[in-house]
Amino acid sequence: MPGSQLTRQAVRAGLIGGAALVYVALTGMVEKFDSRNLIGSFLTLGNLLIALPPLLSGYLATRPRVVGGQREALAPRGAVTAGLLSGAIVGGVTAAGVALVELLPEGAVRRIFIQVSPELLNILTFGRGVPVGLVLLVLYGAVLGLLGGGFRLLPARIAQPVGIGLATTLTFALLQRIFPPLLFELGLDTRWLYSPILLGLTIPGALLVFAVSAGLTVLWSTRGSAAVHKRLDPLPPERRRVVNAIIALVIAAALLVLPQLIGSTLSQVLGQVGVFLLMGLGLNIVVGYAGLLDLGYVAFFATGAYLTALFTGANRVTSIGDLVAPAFVLHLNFYLAVPLVIAVTAMVGVLIGAPVLRLRGDYLAIVTLGFGEIARVLVQSSWLQEFTGGPQGLRDVTDAAIGGFGFRDPQPFFYLVLVFCVLAIFVSLRLANSRVGRAWSAMREDELAAEAMGVSTTKYKLLAFAMGAAVGCLSGTLFAVQIGSIASGSFTILVSITVLAIVILGGMGSIPGVVVGTLLLIGLPGLLDEFEEYRLLIYGAALIMIMVLRPQGLVPNVRRMRELQEEETAQDQWLKQEEAESASAITVGGGGAS
Amino acid sequence: MTTQTRPSGDEETGTSSRPWTAVLAERVPVRRIILVALGIFITVGVVLGSFKTLTLQEGRISAAGWRDFLIAGIALGSIYALIALGYSLVYGILLMINFAHGEVFMMGAFASFYVAESLDSAGMLDRNPVLSILILLVTATIASMAVAVLLERVAYRPLRNAPRLVPLITAIGASLFLQYSAASLFGSNSKGYPDIAALDGEWKILGIPIAKVLVVTIVTAAVMMAALTWFITRTRTGKAMRAVAEDKEIASLMGINVNRVIVTTFAVGGFLAGVAGVMFALVFGLVQYNMGFIPGIKAFTAAVLGGIGSVTGAAVGALILGVVESVAPVLLLSGFHVPAPNQLRDVVAFSILVLVLIFRPGGIFGSGEPERG
Repeated sequence: MPGSQLTRQAVRAGLIGGAALVYVALTGMVEKFDSRNLIGSFLTLGNLLIALPPLLSGYLATRPRVVGGQREALAPRGAVTAGLLSGAIVGGVTAAGVALVELLPEGAVRRIFIQVSPELLNILTFGRGVPVGLVLLVLYGAVLGLLGGGFRLLPARIAQPVGIGLATTLTFALLQRIFPPLLFELGLDTRWLYSPILLGLTIPGALLVFAVSAGLTVLWSTRGSAAVHKRLDPLPPERRRVVNAIIALVIAAALLVLPQLIGSTLSQVLGQVGVFLLMGLGLNIVVGYAGLLDLGYVAFFATGAYLTALFTGANRVTSIGDLVAPAFVLHLNFYLAVPLVIAVTAMVGVLIGAPVLRLRGDYLAIVTLGFGEIARVLVQSSWLQEFTGGPQGLRDVTDAAIGGFGFRDPQPFFYLVLVFCVLAIFVSLRLANSRVGRAWSAMREDELAAEAMGVSTTKYKLLAFAMGAAVGCLSGTLFAVQIGSIASGSFTILVSITVLAIVILGGMGSIPGVVVGTLLLIGLPGLLDEFEEYRLLIYGAALIMIMVLRPQGLVPNVRRMRELQEEETAQDQWLKQEEAESASAITVGGGGAS
Repeated sequence: MTTQTRPSGDEETGTSSRPWTAVLAERVPVRRIILVALGIFITVGVVLGSFKTLTLQEGRISAAGWRDFLIAGIALGSIYALIALGYSLVYGILLMINFAHGEVFMMGAFASFYVAESLDSAGMLDRNPVLSILILLVTATIASMAVAVLLERVAYRPLRNAPRLVPLITAIGASLFLQYSAASLFGSNSKGYPDIAALDGEWKILGIPIAKVLVVTIVTAAVMMAALTWFITRTRTGKAMRAVAEDKEIASLMGINVNRVIVTTFAVGGFLAGVAGVMFALVFGLVQYNMGFIPGIKAFTAAVLGGIGSVTGAAVGALILGVVESVAPVLLLSGFHVPAPNQLRDVVAFSILVLVLIFRPGGIFGSGEPERG
């Protein structure tokens, strides 16, 4: 690869990284995240946020170019200089920003960017003040950029364990609120692994986690993977099913004891994850299976919640503060009410779906968004106060108790959620592999072709809306009984978008994807409080990034993957064309050897 | 469709073996029945509601009251129009809904807010209001254009040939990202926009007293729309934009730089959104990070109502929406004794969106054919 090309790439990556670093600093993330220790007091989440931009731009700056469908070899010297350069630029851009803040009159920048505090500047200059700290910042950037670029030079058999080891260590550090109580309940002393004062991993603990995970990776790729395949592959299908069943049982047992081990606060987070998982599963049917982008999904969540409250009994607060029963209320047992709620919400789904079926995808999205907003305004309006309690919402929703055993506490509630989630996952799986699921995927890929093959698109679209509504309303049901009251402000468009982000991040149409998406987007912010403030910001960024970089999601649906892989050949073709156009200096054949 | 019984030719078409429910489902036009019922229900509701409100015994609204609603509606409509044009222009060229356009508007309002504060503390706002407003407009438009162009570059250009839903999803992500970036960068509380003394009070126009700020809003919007029409119909760039909207590939064969035209379109949309941002801030007197979301969706509604892709359509649709939103809740609902009908103005606007898309997806100036595919 010619030097000038590499330099340009490095400068670009450096400028992008610098902009990213300045941005996270201005939003206040660096400062807020700095109080979370990851490894000793040596690495905080804030430090990580400063370290990632130069590291990644060094990595990106040395991205090997693909010419003629083949990767160009990377010259070691080129990689080193490009990494160094881009990292230094990241540091330089940030240093320039810090210098600007210092040069301008006191408070001038802070008047607009309210998060620019002396504390933040202190973190960015490593506590050394302006002239020295700025030089340090540039050097720091350059070193990390060098590391990022140098990572490319490692052969795969070293790079893979190192990468996985780092990722595992980071995961352990981030899950610092889960692992210590878990291990403690299991009777293990964790003080050597997690520091009781700093909360993060201890330095020896981090080294150990890194060594073990990297070692296991090496072992797995040299021996384990082959051995497992050797054992499993010749097994007849029924035996393999037994193996799968054993794995499922182990997971089930782990989930059953989990809330007892982690305590009630974390169980509450898990309950929250479950509620959103149900919504994600429901939306996955509509968006992932049938390909109908529904932005008003919160309407079903609201319907489920309010119907559950009205069917099982609840009170509303009047304007003078009295508690009275809503204008319509039944006093059914929760487990009788649920099927009723499902049926009614499914009908609502059909009613909402029927008029908008013929709209094209993006219009459908906007109309459903309109429905969602209508639902929000209606439940909060004074007009329907008799039923919904208006802005005050409903209270005293009957508990989902079975014979005196209540589910209101976080730990029992988790079991209730678990049952519902397992049911929903079962339904989703069965639907995906059924005639209906195949009709949906045919419709999703090409509506005209599906219709020509005899798939009644009207029927299957309505069915998708009904099924999606039915699964989604369960989350509303659980939401209503979770704390026994419904706050009218809980049904904003942001719920719809959060659920959409879950489905998109995980991978449309993929149930493991929905689970991973929910854990990342709901579970992680629940565990680390400082994420909470930036939750929606991160969702937005995640939606853009996943669509641009990995549209199939983190854990893609197998069938979709196959469809995307078929396009790969076409993409290589396209790349070739792009190369020929953009770089006339490079002959296509010249860089082909790798 | 005249009979519900099975036609005799079933054996030939092979439907005789199908269950009767399937046959029934095809014979009964469920969709049409729902549509017709919905249409009748709405018409009856509108007529009955307006009749009851206008003949209300007590709490009847005076003619002057209705006039004020109307004028406020027109002013609101002209702000919507400026935003709606941005949606319409982008849709016309890329066939995508720039969901984050409301945030482009918000960023413009924020930029002008900080300048307005400085001007206010320097006493400029009172000394030279016309120049101040011009400065505010320039800052807001620059900021909005920058955000719009950046948005195109980062979130939309890499996905230009992706399936249609993909850019819509990034647009939603961008909307969320920009909104909460603003919340983190500038703070999430609402900020009071400095008051321009010269815009307080009313002018009498044709004997009707109208708040000065509303007059300025309506006039500015009208000037902007005239300028846009001139830009699109008379300039070389405008011609290129129309050509790209017609057919990207052929336009590029004719030597038009399609990328540049698309960027220009986003910039023009951003420019108008910036102007709208200043107007909105002047009328409502505050800026907040989420101020762009609802006006954005409403402006989109207006664009759809008028016929998306059409400049006149966006303007007319926005005026209609502004007036309907301002008048309809009171007119239709107070007759039924609905408490606090103004709470439901968003419902009115979104219902219009839903109804237009159901009954006439092409909009007023569109073809009227339901789009699909």
